[in-house]
Amino acid sequence: MVLALELDINHLFFWDPLLFEGTPYELNRVGILSLLAAALCVGFFLYGAAKKALVPKGAGNLAETLYLFVRNNIAIDVIGPEGAKYAGYLASVFFFILFSNVLAILPGIHFAPTSRMAIPFMLAILTWIIFNVVGVIKQGLGGYLKGTLFPPGVPKAVYILLTPIEFFSVFVVRPLTLMVRLLANLMAGHVLLTIFFLFTHEFLVTNIGPTAPLGLVTLAVATALMMLEMLVVVMQAYIFTMLSAFYIAEAVHGHGAEDHLTHDEPAHETPHEDRRPQLEGVAA
Amino acid sequence: MGYLATIFWFVAEEVEGTSSEEPSGLDLILPAIDELIWGAVAFSIVLFVLNKFAWPKLRESIEAREKQIQGDLEAAERSKNEAEQEKRRYQQQLADSRGEANRIVEEARQQAEQVRKDIIAKAQAEAEQITTRAQESIAAERASTMQELQSTVATMSIQLAEKVVGRSIDASAQKEMVDAYIRDVAGMGNGSSN
Repeated sequence: MVLALELDINHLFFWDPLLFEGTPYELNRVGILSLLAAALCVGFFLYGAAKKALVPKGAGNLAETLYLFVRNNIAIDVIGPEGAKYAGYLASVFFFILFSNVLAILPGIHFAPTSRMAIPFMLAILTWIIFNVVGVIKQGLGGYLKGTLFPPGVPKAVYILLTPIEFFSVFVVRPLTLMVRLLANLMAGHVLLTIFFLFTHEFLVTNIGPTAPLGLVTLAVATALMMLEMLVVVMQAYIFTMLSAFYIAEAVHGHGAEDHLTHDEPAHETPHEDRRPQLEGVAA
Repeated sequence: MGYLATIFWFVAEEVEGTSSEEPSGLDLILPAIDELIWGAVAFSIVLFVLNKFAWPKLRESIEAREKQIQGDLEAAERSKNEAEQEKRRYQQQLADSRGEANRIVEEARQQAEQVRKDIIAKAQAEAEQITTRAQESIAAERASTMQELQSTVATMSIQLAEKVVGRSIDASAQKEMVDAYIRDVAGMGNGSSN
């Protein structure tokens, strides 16, 4: 049996403008959802922060715990005590991505603005600018470029090969992987969920018949994918923020200088350099 | 396509909302300018509002709590130290009281011992006095008895002698004889005892 299932990938990601049509700032569904994510994020944290209590409960407690998580477990853990300065930016990035991602699994919306390139691109470029500016401020332009392009402890001849790789890796691949990783994960999730729900609809509603049990299978898979997506939306926000923190840490402390971490803290069992490849692996 | 709206309206909207110009595959991975602008606006709001209003308040709250906890811990430490000092003082006082009590008991014991000794000494003295008096009384009684016995023996001896000699002798002669006899007897007694 051949299913007459029509699915054009473009139908999932391209939207007609709803406001300001014909201008460069046309507002379509992606723009509205970006603003919605921002409003939810800002609303939640303002509400949480407004609750004055020595021992906050409910939203206040959650807001504080979430902020502390980013500040302590990402900013300070990765960058060191100096990381507290970057906690504001990292927390904003983390929660903006998280709230945007969550829209992908929110019933009635089921679309994350992060599954379009604009937001990942913007955030990756912002992080790229920040870690480069921090590197130049902390180490000086010469020191930063030298530390980045000519890592110490390498035979001079190897620089012929290593320097272009490092240049490409730090200045091109880093922002590119940041944005593509986030985009691809959310985009794939959206496509997969759509496909499985469309199949479910096809088997159980449109062409109900002997293939109905298959519809139950696709419904089960779609449900499982939904759960996976719940994990992905959090993981991707975490990975993006964590890698941003790693890049800033490297700019602050110099290339390969991971000894800034105080080893008396039990949480730091592995230096951040050791964890980065794992994160990048997970992200793929 | 309208059927999709029955359950999955989001897909339906996507399908119906598709632009008439067909985007290329590359457009999927390139940022759209309008989305970029609105994304930047959205993130700027987040970055500004959270950094201006939310994070400082949360930090204040966290720092206030940390300060409070630190203060409480220090106060608890102070209270603990004070309590330990107080405990030491009480223990010292307790030890002093015990010493005082022991001293009082010891004194009482010594006084009681003294009183006991005094009573015993007094009793012994009285007993000795009683004994002495009794001995003196016995001696006097003995002397009196001896005197009486002597007189009785003399009388009986005279009567006996009168019976033996058949005549009476005058009283002074009798008395003389008896005394002489007694002296002899006493002399014999002393001589035999010697």
